[in-house]
Amino acid sequence: MAKSIMIVDDSATMRKIIMKTVRAAELDIGETSEAGNGAEALEKLKASAVDIMLCDINMPEMTGPELVKKVRGLPSCAKTKIIMVSTETAQGIVDDVLKSGANGYITKPFTPEKFKEKLTPFLN
Amino acid sequence: MMVDEVCLNEALLAGATEVFETMIFMDIRESMQQGQEASCESSSQDGAKQHLKGNTFLGPITFTGDMEGCLGICCSVSCARAIAQNMLGMAQTDELGEAEIADAIGEVANMVMGSFKSRVQETVGNLNVSIPTVVKGRSLDASVGENASRTVINVNIADEYAAELSLLYRQEKKREN
Repeated sequence: MAKSIMIVDDSATMRKIIMKTVRAAELDIGETSEAGNGAEALEKLKASAVDIMLCDINMPEMTGPELVKKVRGLPSCAKTKIIMVSTETAQGIVDDVLKSGANGYITKPFTPEKFKEKLTPFLN
Repeated sequence: MMVDEVCLNEALLAGATEVFETMIFMDIRESMQQGQEASCESSSQDGAKQHLKGNTFLGPITFTGDMEGCLGICCSVSCARAIAQNMLGMAQTDELGEAEIADAIGEVANMVMGSFKSRVQETVGNLNVSIPTVVKGRSLDASVGENASRTVINVNIADEYAAELSLLYRQEKKREN
């Protein structure tokens, strides 16, 4: 069954690239949505939860980890898989984000093959 | 440990190469030719101040921590447009607004910074990276103030465009108790 996906990144360019990469990876993705910041993402998730959220870390006003904590506080999003997509590679940051409730991590830059490898476990 | 400029140069170029190959699909090489027309010039005056000429996009991204400074990407408007179009899988004839081009350059700066950081963090230490800002104009200057060092790499993109990668930095000295 196709999964619904939300892309959260303050860069419109990166949101388009991620969308393009997800399509190129030929993953079983259904409905897609985007948000340019954490507040917008939360509002959309409160209206309709998604199966997978791809989320940047460094965003203004509300960072990715802050958004993750708030999403984990929404009962409707209990089954939402959260995958961080970021340039941050420091193990401490990666560990903190996973402890805050994220399920996976993809580093930028990325290829469709890398995306497929990282996302496939969450599509089954 | 004080990091040397060669190490930073190599990390900067390798980081940019990784980003351009993976996400932009454009070849990037260090320019070796003397007298090649460039979009940007660097000045050794005023410590680490670089003076940029022509109508260019400058995408600086600052960092703090065990080393503080600014990583920058500077290129012509046409180069920036080509980069953005390639990242988005668009044709050269497709229209792209300045805001979209600036956003793309900001993301390039962001990814090059991340790739650079991953290569130097064992040597340099912790770096906290900001969100990039991009400006467009003539005679743009980037500076991190006095007593800073700089490394500049002139590059050639897709055998067509000249651009500049720069790193202005000041390494924090650890205080002895």
